[in-house]
Amino acid sequence: MSASPAAGRAAMLLARVLLLAGVLLTWELLPRLGAVAPDLLPPFSEVARTLATLLTRAAFLRDIATTALEILASFLIAVPLGAVLGLLIAESPYFARVFDPLLFFLFSIPKSIFLPMFILTLGIGFWQKVGFGCFSTTLLVLLSTQAAVRSVRPEHLLVARSYGATPGQIVLRVYLPSMLPIVLEALRLALIFTFTAVTLAEMYASSTGVGHEIETWGENFMMPQLLAGVLLMSCAAILLNEAIRWAEQRCGTWRT
Amino acid sequence: MADLTAAAGDGKIVAGAVVAGGVGAGSIQIRALSHVYAGRDGESPALADIDMTVEPGRFVVLVGPSGCGKTSLLMMLAGLRAHSTGFILCGGRPITGPDPNRIGVVFQEANLFPWLTALDNIAFPLALRHVKAAERRGRALEMLRLVRLEAFADRYPHELSGGMRQRVSIARGLVQDPPVLLMDEPFAALDEQTRMAMGDELLRIWSETRKTVVFVTHSLTEAVYLADQVLVMSARPGRIIDRIEVDLPRPRSYATLSAPAFAGLRDRIWHHIRAERA
Repeated sequence: MSASPAAGRAAMLLARVLLLAGVLLTWELLPRLGAVAPDLLPPFSEVARTLATLLTRAAFLRDIATTALEILASFLIAVPLGAVLGLLIAESPYFARVFDPLLFFLFSIPKSIFLPMFILTLGIGFWQKVGFGCFSTTLLVLLSTQAAVRSVRPEHLLVARSYGATPGQIVLRVYLPSMLPIVLEALRLALIFTFTAVTLAEMYASSTGVGHEIETWGENFMMPQLLAGVLLMSCAAILLNEAIRWAEQRCGTWRT
Repeated sequence: MADLTAAAGDGKIVAGAVVAGGVGAGSIQIRALSHVYAGRDGESPALADIDMTVEPGRFVVLVGPSGCGKTSLLMMLAGLRAHSTGFILCGGRPITGPDPNRIGVVFQEANLFPWLTALDNIAFPLALRHVKAAERRGRALEMLRLVRLEAFADRYPHELSGGMRQRVSIARGLVQDPPVLLMDEPFAALDEQTRMAMGDELLRIWSETRKTVVFVTHSLTEAVYLADQVLVMSARPGRIIDRIEVDLPRPRSYATLSAPAFAGLRDRIWHHIRAERA
């Protein structure tokens, strides 16, 4: 029963592919065999065809570009902002004690409750999506940065000091590598958070973006288009997630 | 004129070397050292009137009851902690802060950086000094050979056993070739068998490098087995209450442990410690 790790991984990959194929086949067959009404669940092949058609339309490509830009902008603002705030709070025990309860309170409530306020202050355009995306993500990055700073072991700082490391060298050679695994994990989660936040904001109130289209298709019961949109979004989310996880594994071999 | 200046400069360097040589690069002098902690409930004395002299190349062990300040004393010697009064000289010059060229430190836990390989961990002190990569690698490899881990150069700390990690940590302490090595209970976290083997390993490394070693431990057996001289400290505030010369022949081995002289020396330390604990 002993299998080499490579063989184990190959078997796992095969199992995953088979599972995916099984799900898609079931999806295809259920409406075709009349087990589920095709109006409710169009077959996979039809959804895939719809998606291919959608991807040739300039208007839909513009929607994708808008959503991608909103996600990118939120991510690029939220990550440095959250990191700096997290560092400031982590470095000061006083700030940490003052802010922690409020932060955990904010973190624990669903952010969508605050969407109306973003609409009232920023309208329903680009910046409302970016604002809401930032709001959802900054907190996560802030808390993760705090955790990352706390993961730096005092013994490692002592070793570096005893070998005469300057403060700059301590930051570069001890703080950064210690924090890297948690920071990369936080980046991955931050991207997923902005992704969902921006989509949610688009579905709530918007005139552009993939989220807006999905919302419209849903309201009009255009199932092939709706499912095509969902398929597209989940593929994008999986791709982003895996890209960062790949980077994480390359940098974090020691974390076993 | 230029020649004269150069000659004068050379003279100074030679004179400096002579002075350092006279005192001995690996010598340690501590005079009238006391330390008082300013805590919340007022001041509490931690160390009192510590006087000690270590000749270059000697192996000195500090023992004492828990909390007697032996680790604090070692940290002060390493320049990692301040003391209230008195002075510490290493190689004839005062200790004002960490100085890896004079002193290497090995801690209780190996404290290797998990993101660096064994080789890069050993080269870490050199990297801080911007030593060129090729030279860094060469010297780190030399140290790996010294601790007999050359086959494990590219392993990460989590792939090494506790004893191997501590050997890497010793190699890191020696990589800049400091005349003095300070060791703070380096084997306390290891199991007994590994600990015995590490003691022999350390004595071999010491006999090959002839460093001055100051070694802190809780273990009386370890103290007598390793030391040229054992300094016994009192309970807090720690002072040195006995200086025991260990004249057991070297190289020492498992048989040393059962020598009558060994038991006699260990008993003498234990009597002090028992009195201090009461």
